[in-house]
Amino acid sequence: MKKIYIIVLSAFLGVSCSDFDEDINQNPNLPNQASGTQLIAQAQLSLPGLSSSPQGEFMAQYLAETQYVGASLYPEQSTSFYGWYYGPLADLEAVLNSEELNGNDGPINNQIAVAKILKAYYFWNITDRWGDVPYNEALQGVDNFTPVYDSQEFIYEDLFAELKEAVDLIESGSIANDIIYNGDMGKWRKLANSIRMLMALRLSEVAPAIAEEEFNDAMEDGVLESNDDNLVFQHLAEANNQNYWFGQIVNQNREWWALTENLVAEMEPVDDPRLPVYGNLTRSSGEYIGLLFGEEENIGTEEYSLLGDAIYAQDAPVQLLTYAQILFAMAEAATPERSWIAGDAASYYEMAVEQSILQWTGSTDGAAEFLEQPGVTYDASMAIEQISTQRWVHLFMFGYEAWSEWRRTGYPDIMVSPNGVAVPLRLSYPDNEAFNNETNYNDAVQRQFGGDDSIHESLWWDQ
Amino acid sequence: MKSMFLTFAAMFLCIVAFGQTITGTVSDVSGTPLPGVTIVVGGTNIGATTDFDGNYSINASSGQVLRFSYIGMKTKDVTVGSETIVNVVLEEDSTQLDEVVVTALGISRDKKSLGYATQEVDGDNFNLTNEQNVLGSLSGRVAGVQVTGASGASMGGTQKIKIRGVNSISGGDQPLIVIDGTPISNANFSGSDQADYGNLAQDINPADIESVNVLKGPAASALYGIRGQFGVIMITTKKGKKGVKDVNVQISSSVSLESTYNFIPLQNMYGGGSSQTFRVLDNGQPYVDMSVDESWGPLMDGTPVRHVFSFYPQDPEYGQLRPFVPQPNNVQDYYRTGATYNNSVSVTGGNENTSFRLSANDTRIEGVVPNTYLNRNNIGLSASLNLNEKVTVSSNMNYARNEGQRPGQGSEYGASYMVQWFQRNLDMNRLRDYQYDDGTFLHWNLSRPDSETGQISDFDPLYWNNPYFEVYENNSNDRRDRFFGDIGISYKILPELEVSGFIRSDMYTQNIENRSAFGGRRVPSYSVGKYQNREFNYEFLAQYKNSWGDFSFDGSIGGNIYDRRYSYLSMGTVGGLSTPGFYNIDASIDRPNTTSYLLEKQIRSLYSLVSFGYDGTYFIDASIRNDNSSALPEDNNSYWYPSLSGSIVFSELLNWEPLSFGKIRASYAQAGSDLNPYQTSTVYGVGTVYDGINTLFVPDNLNNPNIKPSFSNSFEAGIELNFFKNRLGFDFTYYEQKNKDQIISLDVSGTSGYNSSIINAGLIENNGFELSVNANPIRSNFFSWDFTFNINKNESEVVELAPGIDVYTYDSTTYSSVTSYLNSYEGKPFGSLVGQAYERDEATGMILLGDDNMPLYTDATHDFGSVLPDFNGGIQNNFRIGQFNIAAMIDFQGGGQFFSRSKMLSVRTGQDALTVATNDNGMNVRDAVEDGGGVKVTGISESTGEEVTAYVDARSYYRNVVGRRIYEEWLYDASYIKLREVRVQYNLGDNIINKLPFKSMSLSFIARNPYMIWQRAPRGINPSEISTGAQSISWYESGQLPSVRSYGLNLNVTF
Repeated sequence: MKKIYIIVLSAFLGVSCSDFDEDINQNPNLPNQASGTQLIAQAQLSLPGLSSSPQGEFMAQYLAETQYVGASLYPEQSTSFYGWYYGPLADLEAVLNSEELNGNDGPINNQIAVAKILKAYYFWNITDRWGDVPYNEALQGVDNFTPVYDSQEFIYEDLFAELKEAVDLIESGSIANDIIYNGDMGKWRKLANSIRMLMALRLSEVAPAIAEEEFNDAMEDGVLESNDDNLVFQHLAEANNQNYWFGQIVNQNREWWALTENLVAEMEPVDDPRLPVYGNLTRSSGEYIGLLFGEEENIGTEEYSLLGDAIYAQDAPVQLLTYAQILFAMAEAATPERSWIAGDAASYYEMAVEQSILQWTGSTDGAAEFLEQPGVTYDASMAIEQISTQRWVHLFMFGYEAWSEWRRTGYPDIMVSPNGVAVPLRLSYPDNEAFNNETNYNDAVQRQFGGDDSIHESLWWDQ
Repeated sequence: MKSMFLTFAAMFLCIVAFGQTITGTVSDVSGTPLPGVTIVVGGTNIGATTDFDGNYSINASSGQVLRFSYIGMKTKDVTVGSETIVNVVLEEDSTQLDEVVVTALGISRDKKSLGYATQEVDGDNFNLTNEQNVLGSLSGRVAGVQVTGASGASMGGTQKIKIRGVNSISGGDQPLIVIDGTPISNANFSGSDQADYGNLAQDINPADIESVNVLKGPAASALYGIRGQFGVIMITTKKGKKGVKDVNVQISSSVSLESTYNFIPLQNMYGGGSSQTFRVLDNGQPYVDMSVDESWGPLMDGTPVRHVFSFYPQDPEYGQLRPFVPQPNNVQDYYRTGATYNNSVSVTGGNENTSFRLSANDTRIEGVVPNTYLNRNNIGLSASLNLNEKVTVSSNMNYARNEGQRPGQGSEYGASYMVQWFQRNLDMNRLRDYQYDDGTFLHWNLSRPDSETGQISDFDPLYWNNPYFEVYENNSNDRRDRFFGDIGISYKILPELEVSGFIRSDMYTQNIENRSAFGGRRVPSYSVGKYQNREFNYEFLAQYKNSWGDFSFDGSIGGNIYDRRYSYLSMGTVGGLSTPGFYNIDASIDRPNTTSYLLEKQIRSLYSLVSFGYDGTYFIDASIRNDNSSALPEDNNSYWYPSLSGSIVFSELLNWEPLSFGKIRASYAQAGSDLNPYQTSTVYGVGTVYDGINTLFVPDNLNNPNIKPSFSNSFEAGIELNFFKNRLGFDFTYYEQKNKDQIISLDVSGTSGYNSSIINAGLIENNGFELSVNANPIRSNFFSWDFTFNINKNESEVVELAPGIDVYTYDSTTYSSVTSYLNSYEGKPFGSLVGQAYERDEATGMILLGDDNMPLYTDATHDFGSVLPDFNGGIQNNFRIGQFNIAAMIDFQGGGQFFSRSKMLSVRTGQDALTVATNDNGMNVRDAVEDGGGVKVTGISESTGEEVTAYVDARSYYRNVVGRRIYEEWLYDASYIKLREVRVQYNLGDNIINKLPFKSMSLSFIARNPYMIWQRAPRGINPSEISTGAQSISWYESGQLPSVRSYGLNLNVTF
């Protein structure tokens, strides 16, 4: 009744009634503040997504399709990068722009440093897949809905600087809510330098001088020193945080992926101790048999080695940036072709293989024997090829990264062209970028690829 | 109550109070006797009719009231006195001249004084046809109203209403539904797939509807302010009448049977598999490839093979061979005959100062999909009491209950997949018993057996469950309890001045449960949601009405507080269920998903309306409303909406005999709309919890603190012409509407860090016309014919979006990594369908072919044009032949288009009849290309520029190229002409009725959706039923449920 009186009164007195209870338009359903480390933690949840994707495995030809062959035939189709921007990058940007970071979650500088490192890592992955992408003007929300595409060269330069800046910010003390390193800033420092080192290596063909300089600089600042330092996302044995492949293979009953013939051919004859982890014995014959990549007729789930049980366990970890990778990089840098660093390429190579076996199998058993296998034993005359091939075996299931290294080095030189279609050299920009950011999209496609946003055009560092 | 008991007593005991015999003659004003006039003694079932000379005779006692009624004449009551001869003169009923209509806020107005278009539909149209969602009955009946329905298999599925085209870029332009002055929620809990729960306005009992008045433009609905921008559908319910003491009891009972029709024609030559040769076990037995959910397999020539059943050790056919033959009707066989039982009763009564009506309804529907049903009950009470000469209190109370178990729809849910991913050899009779005695479920889509042992190692289904498993194990249930109504008081301070106050409420609790059982293809799960909505409107209105000589004045001033509180709790299990059959959140293996949500909103409004009339000929109206919305930014939440309209009844000036009524009118109005709450302030999203670490994230949609209400400016002009004593009438309206500053969630480049942003954007212009024609060419005692025709045409243009933005993506759908969009482009009509097209040679327009002779396709940016229809309307014919009434309703639509995923997939998977066509070599397209088979393709080779004609492998062509990537091939014109309902009613004649204890009795035959007269789209897709759940604009169809036709009988008895 009170309300009616108010209406009656206001109606007659002409009093407006635009004053509402102050909190009526405050959203009670979502928090209006977030701590920096909670946002960082959310950004970390997206890390496995960088790797867990059939598309990446097809690019590196690790897995072949056992049914409904299609995605592995390299169709000319676009892949969206939006999720990376409005997902983890937006969260990290919110941390970097926040004026309300709270020291209770650990030194503010450390929070900023971790946000910067993760942001750099995401952007590195993005530019290596698509080429020029919005970077400097990206993530500005309402201030810029149509960011310009920066050149890959510029992005690399800036990421080097950002990573150095992040390392300089790190101070003593840990941070809270850190899913990756449990707040250990020493590990974050090593990761930042390792990212810089691998980025530098990526420029070996296009800008060897800068590559060498950054590589050495990063190495001096301290890179990963063991598999304990790896950037790895540990999934949990519960559905909310489970491994992508578990969801596909177990939850959805999709036995869609077998090891490729090439991968098995690389591993099986030399008794690679990692093979039993990578794949299962075939159900029909109990052997390791790979499926020809892109094969459309003779396919099936019984006759070929499907993806290994341990790879798709619900809590299987996703390895992103690993100690073995660093060692392979050092091995390559130490080869006479590069000779960026001192040291013995052979021993870096052997350590790399050994650490890879340790990472994948949990022990170094069989590593020594494996290194004595013909073709595996270090051969200085074909060092780059050998290092690259073993790196490809090591990078199993992080297909995108292996694909980048293949694009850079051309090894392993065993890739199949399904129906004559070559392995793509990049991902095509999202379709809707042509609606949402038309001018800048067109500029970028014109500038890099002469107007053809195709998956067969090559990136700046892959010229 | 006492009078009611008496009536009942009189009815059942057939006690007739004998009085005197009254006789007399009934004539019209000119003295001509009227034959066939009905005379009833008030409060009894005694009746009589006049003979050919207008004479009658009836028994009645002094003090009783005789009611004389005749079509086209005003009903007249005469109290019996001492006279035994009562001659009566009936006046011509000029209601069509002085028709009173209920306008915004329930203000009654002379229709002739209105300066804007409204159109009224009689309640009979809603309650005799048993439309499962009563709003569907509006289709074709009102010019300017487009209704897009859903399949009857959903039992009360979504009926989407658009008035005068699309007026909101975001498509959220549903009209406000008002019942007896109470705005009610028309929310919809359906998604674009799974169960279609329908829109909530269907909770009104159709048998309660007296009339429906549609306020089409902003001028008509200006007094509803923010909430009425997209038009208002005003429903008035039946009421008791004050005056003569009278009681009526009406009982209506109907039953109808529903059956499915309109299936996509499928082929019956090739069965399941991906290759035309059988897979063979090591023991030499060929088998049907059960791992493939397509029909690109071997010829179904009766070869004895192992079928999927034969791999279940529990199956009597285990290990046995059975001929490989087609099952031509396997999809049809799945559906059953549905039934609808509807029983309703109402009691209406009144005396000098009281009126009331009580109604109850019970509807039970058994769906055409096995194990689906809907039960619905309505109870309604409306009452009014004059406390004294000045004060009246009144109330309307409605309760509705719905309990449904509905089928899943959409390509991924329920059993709609059978058209799209299935094997033509699957026998529904074998699938029907979906569980063996030991509890094992029978599925058809499994991993292949080991060829050596012939055993299947894993009986978990791959991509699809047995369709019977879907409906018997994975049940989706919904329940809703709803109450809406009002209480009010009015006080006539002076004869000319009345003030009134109302409290109106609409509240419901909606429960939705979904289950995924053990043994199916999905992780077992259970989800439950409880959604509660409570809306109050507190309303005050003062009306002053007076006239001085030729001058009349009508003025109102009022205020309203709208107060909404909406909350829900929804939970779903994660990671599986702990115990089979235990469907409970407690059974969640991992931390369940939970959401608790609260929304509060208030709108406070003041408004005023003044209306001047001169000489009953010239009228002018002005209104203004001020709305204050709590959902808008605090310092910018108060807005004013004016309207102005005028009309001239020029027939008063012309005095031309054939023209019985002529009026021109024009109006201008500004209306507005606000937005949902909480879209102006910054919040964070709550992310996944990782081992005790609670994560938060920046939402993907950017809120905007500077948002302002959107405005629409509308102008309309119209003319009404009635000829020959109103036996032929035209009502024509032209309108223009400019909708500005629409509040939309604009898709932005994700690189900005957001996927979308709330902005004020755009200018959409709509213009169009509406025409309705009423005719009554024949009117006699024995035969009369009424005819109504409605049509409207609307054109829209997106004039402006936002600075720097010339495309707005309203919706998109992705399948197999191919996306299509519903976009709006600046400078084009609203709602372009965008997707992958054939790549064409610029010079010749022929399609380009790749080196493998397969058609090339563009990326998903090709604009195929607007999805909106050019025009739609309806035709209604009513015939009365003696005691028979025959009514037929046709609705139609011209233009518009949609994408059919069902059709695309039925072709892609080799199910569609198209995939076994004979090519011009006389060979089946599936035959090997080298043998003269293959699909003929003609185009220009991209590499050579030469014209090429070639034959390509049918499976690669349909499965990998055309049926997967080229959406151009699967777009269809949405034009149709549909016979929507037919009703044949027989009314018992007076001579029989008088011997029975009834006042009237009728028996009707009803047919609903009996026949699609014509459609441009191919058979199997129903363009009138593409409203899949929550799609605000219908632009694609994906796993549509089959069309349902219904035939029934209805018995209606009044005591």
